[in-house]
Amino acid sequence: MSNEFNKGRRKFIKSAFTVASALAIAKVAPTWAAPQGRSFKDQILTNDEIDLTIAKSPLLVGNKVGAPITINGQMPGPLIRLKEGQRAKLNVTNRLSEDTSIHWHGIILPENMDGVPGVSFEGIKPGRTFKYRYDVEQNGTYWYHSHSGLQEQLGHLGPLVIEPKDGDIGADREHTIILSDWTFEDPDTVFRNLKVAEGYYNYQKRTIFETFEDVRQQGLEKTWKQREMWGQMRMSPRDIADVTGSTYTYLMNGRDSQMNWSALFKPGEKVRLRIINGSAMSFFDVRIPGLEMTVVAADGQPVKPVPVDEFRIGVAETYDVIVQPKQNKPYTIYAESFDRSGYVRGTLTPELGLEAEVPELRQVPERGMAAMGMGAMAMSGDMKGNSMNMKHMGGNNSHMTHKMTHKKELPVENIKIKHRESGHGAGAAMIATNPVSRLHEPGIGLEDVDHKVLVYTDLVGAHEWPDTREPERQIELHLTGNMERYMWSFDGKKFTEVDGPVQFHHGERLRLVMVNDTMMDHPIHLHGMWMELENGQYPRPRKHTISLKPSEKVSLLITADAPGSWAFHCHLLYHMKAGMFRVVNVA
Amino acid sequence: MYGKSLLVGAALLPGLAVAGHAKEDWPEPVKEYYTGQVLFDRLELTRTNEEENLAVWDMMAWYGGDYHRAVFKSEGENVQDDGEPTDLESAELLYGYLVSPFWSFQAGIGTRGTLSSDASMENYAVVSFMGLAPYWFEMDNSLMVNEEGDVQFVSETEYEWQLTQTSYLQPRIEFTANLTDSDKYERQSGLSNLRVGLRYRHEISREFAPYIGVYWNGALGNTADEMKRMGEDTTETGVVLGARVWF
Repeated sequence: MSNEFNKGRRKFIKSAFTVASALAIAKVAPTWAAPQGRSFKDQILTNDEIDLTIAKSPLLVGNKVGAPITINGQMPGPLIRLKEGQRAKLNVTNRLSEDTSIHWHGIILPENMDGVPGVSFEGIKPGRTFKYRYDVEQNGTYWYHSHSGLQEQLGHLGPLVIEPKDGDIGADREHTIILSDWTFEDPDTVFRNLKVAEGYYNYQKRTIFETFEDVRQQGLEKTWKQREMWGQMRMSPRDIADVTGSTYTYLMNGRDSQMNWSALFKPGEKVRLRIINGSAMSFFDVRIPGLEMTVVAADGQPVKPVPVDEFRIGVAETYDVIVQPKQNKPYTIYAESFDRSGYVRGTLTPELGLEAEVPELRQVPERGMAAMGMGAMAMSGDMKGNSMNMKHMGGNNSHMTHKMTHKKELPVENIKIKHRESGHGAGAAMIATNPVSRLHEPGIGLEDVDHKVLVYTDLVGAHEWPDTREPERQIELHLTGNMERYMWSFDGKKFTEVDGPVQFHHGERLRLVMVNDTMMDHPIHLHGMWMELENGQYPRPRKHTISLKPSEKVSLLITADAPGSWAFHCHLLYHMKAGMFRVVNVA
Repeated sequence: MYGKSLLVGAALLPGLAVAGHAKEDWPEPVKEYYTGQVLFDRLELTRTNEEENLAVWDMMAWYGGDYHRAVFKSEGENVQDDGEPTDLESAELLYGYLVSPFWSFQAGIGTRGTLSSDASMENYAVVSFMGLAPYWFEMDNSLMVNEEGDVQFVSETEYEWQLTQTSYLQPRIEFTANLTDSDKYERQSGLSNLRVGLRYRHEISREFAPYIGVYWNGALGNTADEMKRMGEDTTETGVVLGARVWF
């Protein structure tokens, strides 16, 4: 069904490039996303004071008029360029009929400038202007977005680029690409659908005919074994994205595939692409067929260059890559939703109006034993998965052996994970009885691709970070959820159920251990402080958002140097709304 | 400072959202979410082997949060053109609590009988255990005690085979057991009734899915014996045409 759907959709995209939508491009295109991009040594156009006006205005999204939240009339909002060392002066005026806010994602700033209503300030009331003021002490690729309700889903977001002091971008030209997911449905309706009807947006479920086919190919016993675990857990191996291409139009700089956002280059030039995943719910797999990409920054922070052919970008993450197209021809920038329910493409081109071949969507991936255990093991000799276990399953999975292929042993591998005897209550449908490190895995659907995909263990910080202390203390948090009622939480408790913040002691160095006790990937974001990822590399990469795979455990080092209250949450918008949110208090 | 206001807040409003709420007049960053749903699992016309036409409903409505919900359930049927009033098989108002990830415990009161002015209704107390069993069996098990002290157990189980992304084959089984004899309501103890059905459903949208199906209904045990003694048929078959609808 979904394949038919997508095929139909592609056909439609090809034929529906109408005059109306052609005319709309000029109107819809954020002015900053000009095809020329920016060249090294260009004059830096940083206004000393930047005014941003938040309003709701009808705008063409793809080939239909939607009602997004616009920032200075655009969706996504304007590219804000600041310079390291300057004082940011950003005046945000609310022209909506409800409260709003802007959070500067990944920026180190005072707590009252962080823009989270209820945590850092009271929000911006209708008609009011909030003046954000902070010193910019970092550089790189970041973004900004609303932290009020579900406004982010309505396009209340934009890119934020901070130029380094010396102005050197390490390339001849740069383009900023912000990916997002748009729906014409009311975000409140989307949330209710998720709440009352499990799997509402999933049109890629396993059918009985696929089961018959599996039985025919591999026999009844093996098929039963594969289905057994999922049946006991009452979960679906095809449950990859909660909200899918069945309602989403995926956008690149506010334009869909048909509008084909284009970026210019001259053959031989080094082009820096600043790629931001500003989606509410969608992980993307990004590649440019025919071009190698060299990752030079993750979450705005420099890393030692890693050449890759493809990378997965979790919600709220950013990656900077450098490409050097030598040929005088267009290349497709392809961002495929990780559940393969849709994609958006743009074009990197030597002249406007060209386009390159658009890859087909790849096959729907599947979680579970076939995808991450038994099936793949024979091919790679690598146990890609791990044991999932429902509370009541006991030790049924002992037949699954664990053979990991790490080069280095990570600290987290020696950390014993504690689960409460009783599990995590009714809010958690699963506990990972044997969580493992999965930082070396590319993620679901990318296990067997025949080119180089970025993995977290590839990331090496470009230089040492100031605090080299060993952690004095350890905090363990479990990511928990119950799909049936769409409850998401930490340690089985939604935000509304906890009785206080997570306490960090000011000045301490601590290790945060997180365990994903769910079947979903979660991008976890800490405000106000960096998290150094203990991935076996040194210097460690540091991140503002870290994606955890199902049943994964990770450890991060944090210097609690930012006094005040900070949000800590899953960056999947509807997971946060459902309760996967905590306040960290540094005092 | 924040710690103090938190403590005060937590003491004043136990169980309410106060976590990390730094200032009293600030909004909560994440609020408890309440919603509701009305679901007609079966809303159908039935043609029996006795050539009777019936209109049948089986619905549930709820409102609440993730753990606590107010639940209303109702089932019934009306034989068309027989001049008889509608037969209300159940109308129950329950409080539901999520006791484990897949199961909620419900307790409340119910009534049943024919919907006519002179009929006396049978009122009862009911507890249900409703949820999703391993291997995706959707179950609702209810134990009812009426004013006479008669005890009845009803169990409904549904399963769904996914045919395509929008169509399903759904077997359904329902049985009734009387734990006690009841003279007033002419019930014999033991397993009394079994109903097995199969439906093919196609979603026009997630919210509206028409279906066609068949069922077999049979009396069992003492109940069947009693019916035979009275010269009644103990089994019934039928075809159904209906829709699963929610909003």
